[in-house]
Amino acid sequence: MKKAILIDYKYCTGCHTCEVACQKHLGLEPDKWGIKLTQIGPDEVAPRQWQYEFVPVPTDRCNRCADRLERGKQAMCAQHCQAGCLWVGDIDELVGRIDGDKFALFV
Amino acid sequence: MTDQENNETIGQNAGLGMSGGGKVVPMQNDPTAATRKDTWEEDGFTVVRGNARTAPGCHDNCGILMYIDKDGKLDHVEGDPDDPYNQGRLCLRCLTLPDVVYHKDRQLHPLKRDRADRGKDKWEQITWEEAYEICERELRAVQEKYGPQAIQVFCGTGRDIVGYHPMLANILDTPNQGMGFLSGQGCYVPRMFSTTMKIGNLYTGDYSQNWIDRYDNPNWVRPDYVVIWGNNPVVANSDGTLGHWIVECMKRGTKLITIDPKLTWCAAHSEYWLQVRPGTDSALALAMAHVIVEEDLYDHEFVDCWCYGFEEYQEHIKDWTPTRVAEICDIDEDLIWSAARALGNADGWALQWGVALDHTAEGFYSGASCYDLCALCGQFDKPGGMVCGKPSFGVPVTWIGSDTDWIPTKRNQYEHLHGDYPALRVIGMPSPDATLEALEGKYDYPVKAAWLQTNNCLANMGAQPQRIAKGLMEDDFNVVMDLWMTPTAMAVADVFLPVTTFPERFGLTGHQPYRTGAINKAIDTIGECRSDPQVVVEMGRIFKGADLFPWSDGEHFDEEAFYDYLLRNSGFTWDDLKSRTWAYPEMKYYRYKTGEIRDDGEPGFSTPTGRYEFYSVNLEAMGMRPLAFYEEPPESPISRPDLLEKYPLTLTTGARQWGFFHSEGRQVPHLRAIHPEPEVTIHPADAEKYGIADGDWVIIENQYGSCKQKAKIDIRIKQGVVSADHGWWFPERDREDGFFGTFESNINNCIPMRPGSTGLGCSYKSVLCSIRKA
Repeated sequence: MKKAILIDYKYCTGCHTCEVACQKHLGLEPDKWGIKLTQIGPDEVAPRQWQYEFVPVPTDRCNRCADRLERGKQAMCAQHCQAGCLWVGDIDELVGRIDGDKFALFV
Repeated sequence: MTDQENNETIGQNAGLGMSGGGKVVPMQNDPTAATRKDTWEEDGFTVVRGNARTAPGCHDNCGILMYIDKDGKLDHVEGDPDDPYNQGRLCLRCLTLPDVVYHKDRQLHPLKRDRADRGKDKWEQITWEEAYEICERELRAVQEKYGPQAIQVFCGTGRDIVGYHPMLANILDTPNQGMGFLSGQGCYVPRMFSTTMKIGNLYTGDYSQNWIDRYDNPNWVRPDYVVIWGNNPVVANSDGTLGHWIVECMKRGTKLITIDPKLTWCAAHSEYWLQVRPGTDSALALAMAHVIVEEDLYDHEFVDCWCYGFEEYQEHIKDWTPTRVAEICDIDEDLIWSAARALGNADGWALQWGVALDHTAEGFYSGASCYDLCALCGQFDKPGGMVCGKPSFGVPVTWIGSDTDWIPTKRNQYEHLHGDYPALRVIGMPSPDATLEALEGKYDYPVKAAWLQTNNCLANMGAQPQRIAKGLMEDDFNVVMDLWMTPTAMAVADVFLPVTTFPERFGLTGHQPYRTGAINKAIDTIGECRSDPQVVVEMGRIFKGADLFPWSDGEHFDEEAFYDYLLRNSGFTWDDLKSRTWAYPEMKYYRYKTGEIRDDGEPGFSTPTGRYEFYSVNLEAMGMRPLAFYEEPPESPISRPDLLEKYPLTLTTGARQWGFFHSEGRQVPHLRAIHPEPEVTIHPADAEKYGIADGDWVIIENQYGSCKQKAKIDIRIKQGVVSADHGWWFPERDREDGFFGTFESNINNCIPMRPGSTGLGCSYKSVLCSIRKA
């Protein structure tokens, strides 16, 4: 079964590292993505309380770094994620990591 | 005492560049060091473990694994999961490294150009031998005709040169070495010097980076708060702080307070965000101190036992009430009370300061005013507070300092180009602002040659760059050393020297005081490139003779022997370091209590009083104000209401962008795609007022000049303020087309080359402007 991607988007700073790590690994030009950032806000949802967040979304080009996982490595995006808030693996294992209120699971 | 001697004395007191009292500093226990390899075979590649430094430029030293294919080519890179510094992570600048190493535009050979052809694409490829012959001939001619002080040794930032350029200045016998044409030496120097006067050393936020086991170390405590002041750490990664360390602290419970005119990601994730008017930071710090003292939230033990001048300081901050300062900063008063109380009640908190503090005219005092807050709360040398940044293992080239004792020099015989500014007189650095005036004949001092290494001043940091270009195009001789034919090289160089990228060289890490590491060579040198330090040493052989080299026969540059020599007091050899890749020195807190800070072994700090000085005895002795103060920027809506009709908006510049390092990265496709054009961020209300739509090209203009950038309409910027990109040039354009079009979108056209009263501090983030659709 295809691996899943889990993102703790409370900590995603929008640094684009996952995008470029993936592009370099898959040999994609800058206008093609295996994972792509989306932005929420900035929105002042309550006085002085801002939602300004990023959620990376995998595309159909993402192969979950099957070759790397097979060799015991992390997926390129997960290893290089600057905020350490992205994981690629089995759904069961990833679900166990959910311990906050801003997680996105891509299956 | 000459200025130079005076400077050295103060430098020694300040602990800048000292060797740690001659004692060998023990290493931290490193459980994997014995088995760690610096190279191995993996899936058909040879892997070389190293540190990512430099070129290209960066303020950090991330652990990197370089994958070399069977043909000896760098195929790809990955972060090193075993390295405590970055723990396997790498940003997009390193991930695109092979695209830089093998870029078609990289300059791979030395070049020369006739002085009469400056600005024209009339380069001729030459050998290193000829390049050095020309440099020797021309620089000696300048030395003989005008004196060696007429040679300016100028670096930029982020490349492996800051520790080595003082060697070059010794070699050329010139007292003038610094960050050429950065107005007011306005990057870290103002903060560093003013706070060193107060506490004797530089302190940085404690994000566990001094510990080999990082966040798991039992002695480390996560800060209750990180105060992000004029900095966007996750993008900027400035001054040896990997910004995402703060995100790791947040996961462990750290809260943020952010002071920024722009809603950064950190600001949006802060408990308190103070959206101040640019340039008003000192006022805010004084008001926060006012609250902490008035509500008796300060650390009595630290202030009573370890500080000097509290009474004067207490009197000084009385008038800086939150009511008054809220109006100055243009923020709600309650935020000042709340943020100050949060700090007063916190256990540990770290100051994460940014270059914005230096980028107002009296920026010399902004950092000092923030340090006063740290002192009030007793945060120095405290876990989860501020940690002392002495050069790791006493190797000065790796942090702030240089290893120059072995280079005989006459530089001390000449008065440096201080421009009559008091701070620059003392610190021994030239005034870039006065240097420009000297080039223009407005200040009496000979400026006849410039050695520009890691320095693209016309595109990046030079204020009023067209004045600088004109000045340098008229001097006698210029050398530029870089990866690319930059706008600066294209405009002014007579000799161009090509620099290696880091996979092509050996070296020591730097720009941080936490650890010492090896830059490991992974591939053969491309073309005829040489590393920055190699060229400095080779200039030494030419100007001072082969006897200069204590470590070799002097006939050729033995890179590994050179680094072995620089490590001579560290307790380990270059070979040891290379095989382990990194080494962490022993780490302790509260060293001021045990006599491990001062050279004389007495408890206290390295200041004249041995205490943290709210009231700086040294500053007073040098004729500068002893207490941190606030002064309006020279051009602000308050100080210059007469300009508001023409220039109604406040201009702040130089916000860092993902993927770029100052003027670097524009020719790397995956980086450029993320931020393809120079952008000016405008609040929607201001955009509507001036008829500007998102994506319009906009003319930004003031009394100094104008430039063109693309509008980004965004509520993240404070209303009444526009935030413009810096560092832009267009490598894809013709070299002769305005030197890659560098003046077209250069926001420094609108920034004056004018420091603050001390000679330090500048106006990159606080002038006035107008905007209109192009």
